[in-house]
Amino acid sequence: MNVELTGLTRRFGRTSAVAGVDLRTGPGVFGLLGPNGAGKTTLLRMMATVIAPSSGTMLLLDRDPGSYGPRRQIRRRLGYLPQALGYYPGFTVLEFVEYFALLKEVPSTEVSRAVASAVERVGLGAKAHAKLRTLSGGMLRRAGIAQAIVNEPRLLLLDEPTAGLDPEQRIQFRELMRELGQRATVIVSTHLVEDVGAACTEVALMDAGKIVFHGTPTELADRGAGHGAGDAPLERGYSAVLAEARS
Amino acid sequence: MDDDLIAAIAGGDDLALRELFARHAPWLAVRLRSMLPAADVEDVLQETFLAVWRGAGGYRPHTAGGWLWGIARRQAALWLRRSGPSTVATYASPSDEGAASDAHDPAEIAGWRADIDAALAELGPPGSPDRDVWQLLYVEDRTVADVAARTGVAVGTVKSRAFRVRRVMRRALRGGIAEGGAR
Amino acid sequence: MSDVNSVAGVDLDRTWLGVAAEVWRRRPGHIERAATRVLRSPGLARALLTTPSLVVPWLIASVVVLGAGTAATFGSGAPWVPLMAPAVAAAGIAYAYGPGIDPAYELSRSMAVSDRMVLLVRAVAVFGIDAVIGVVASAASSSAVGLTFGWLIPMTAMSALALAAATLARSANVGVAAGLAGWAITVVSTRAATGAFTAAVTSSLLTLPYAAVGVCCAVIVVTATRVSRGSA
Repeated sequence: MNVELTGLTRRFGRTSAVAGVDLRTGPGVFGLLGPNGAGKTTLLRMMATVIAPSSGTMLLLDRDPGSYGPRRQIRRRLGYLPQALGYYPGFTVLEFVEYFALLKEVPSTEVSRAVASAVERVGLGAKAHAKLRTLSGGMLRRAGIAQAIVNEPRLLLLDEPTAGLDPEQRIQFRELMRELGQRATVIVSTHLVEDVGAACTEVALMDAGKIVFHGTPTELADRGAGHGAGDAPLERGYSAVLAEARS
Repeated sequence: MDDDLIAAIAGGDDLALRELFARHAPWLAVRLRSMLPAADVEDVLQETFLAVWRGAGGYRPHTAGGWLWGIARRQAALWLRRSGPSTVATYASPSDEGAASDAHDPAEIAGWRADIDAALAELGPPGSPDRDVWQLLYVEDRTVADVAARTGVAVGTVKSRAFRVRRVMRRALRGGIAEGGAR
Repeated sequence: MSDVNSVAGVDLDRTWLGVAAEVWRRRPGHIERAATRVLRSPGLARALLTTPSLVVPWLIASVVVLGAGTAATFGSGAPWVPLMAPAVAAAGIAYAYGPGIDPAYELSRSMAVSDRMVLLVRAVAVFGIDAVIGVVASAASSSAVGLTFGWLIPMTAMSALALAAATLARSANVGVAAGLAGWAITVVSTRAATGAFTAAVTSSLLTLPYAAVGVCCAVIVVTATRVSRGSA
């Protein structure tokens, strides 16, 4: 088990962004679906150790991120791609990926190999020395993915990773996810239902801070049988579950 | 095309190196594979392209295939020297410019192996003077002076042994491959 | 990415990675290597010296400003350096702060080399070097010993104030404004109280208040940069 969350909540002021989440998952690709405002990003940020939970327990890679030492160890094996990444315009792709490899404390002797591997894996080998400000949106996203995977993370958290990627790039991305999911837990938060169906082994659907469905993509599609809204089985399952949860 | 790439590499263009690698690494790998086990080929091929990166300034146009193979051979020889002579490791391909069409068929390779084994057997058992000269001078690419020092004989003796070795190998194998000549 | 690209049992993709790792390797300069040894962390050294941090441009600006102050003192006799040093340092420290300057701030909060560590190192570097520059400039321009070092304490206080303001408001500019304003107010009010222009840096009565401000602000910064918990 790489992730074990029990009764996790997070409040901002008086709003509960995450209102009691239980989750246990091991290696594989895990899709986190839900409408805007459902709490997906907050949940991801807690797992990325950027913010702490208000209550509940969280074990990441068998450690409690509440104290400095374990948190640092978790972070060395963690990859995170926030929704709005932000980048340093004057950096080249290599400098950008290397910067975060160093901050993740990748051992010095392994850094240049890890950086080369990450850059090639996301298909930016031909743009290695290009400055970030010269890259298109899709390439920037891929540079972001490269920094997330440079330390061979055991827990990889991706918030809307396919935003800005064209269909071909999305296919390559899913292939990369499947590859990474063989040894690591990859959690992908997305509102694109078809991304989930293609690559994920497990899916959870969040609404109003709670998880209202947890199972396989097939099971989600089955829930949509006989439901009207949606053009594809997964979409129908998605709307069916949401409708039920809100009624 | 290759000339432009190598000129660009001499100017520090790593993208050109990537392109050159894509074009030439496959046939170089096959050639090297007939000399070395697969894991070693990776290392030697890596060292070869790093040598290309560093030495592109010394390239003369229109000789890309031969230049690349020359570097690869030298790196393979260095490798063999470091890890000690083990199995039979020699040229397998009688022709020398960039033609990647030959040397793929395992049966052909096995055939050449057999020919080479027979030829080497004619030179003598391992440790015999002619066999040593073959190993040191042609497989490990050492200079005549080096070989003389190592085997404890005069330079002239090494040269005459080399001449005999070349004659034997040439007779035993198809085509004239052992023409490296003593340096 | 292509499927595994292999020929005759040789993995060409892996081979290329070996070449690329060498060809693409970045070799850090002298300063970065020294910083790595001192800080015992290559990541921390890089974060200190590299673009997202304005530390290096700031230090250049500090040299220029305090150099001008020294020249001005030679010309007019007024002790500009001691009066300017606290403001200069305060502004520099505020720019060491994250959210105002670092576009990848969210990501930096998930790093093993924590954003708080980076902030601390940048702040100490700015402060330390500004102190050294200030001492040199001050010694070159002033004859009164009390003035030469007297400003170190107000400088600490103003820097802490600027950093605390920046951290609370999540903006480097707010920090700069707070530091400059705080210092201006201090200088003007001490002059009004005692009639001496340089009272802000020479009066020993102010030592305790300065120290108090420094400590409070430091506590604020440490608290504000914790991994944030939700409000209960």
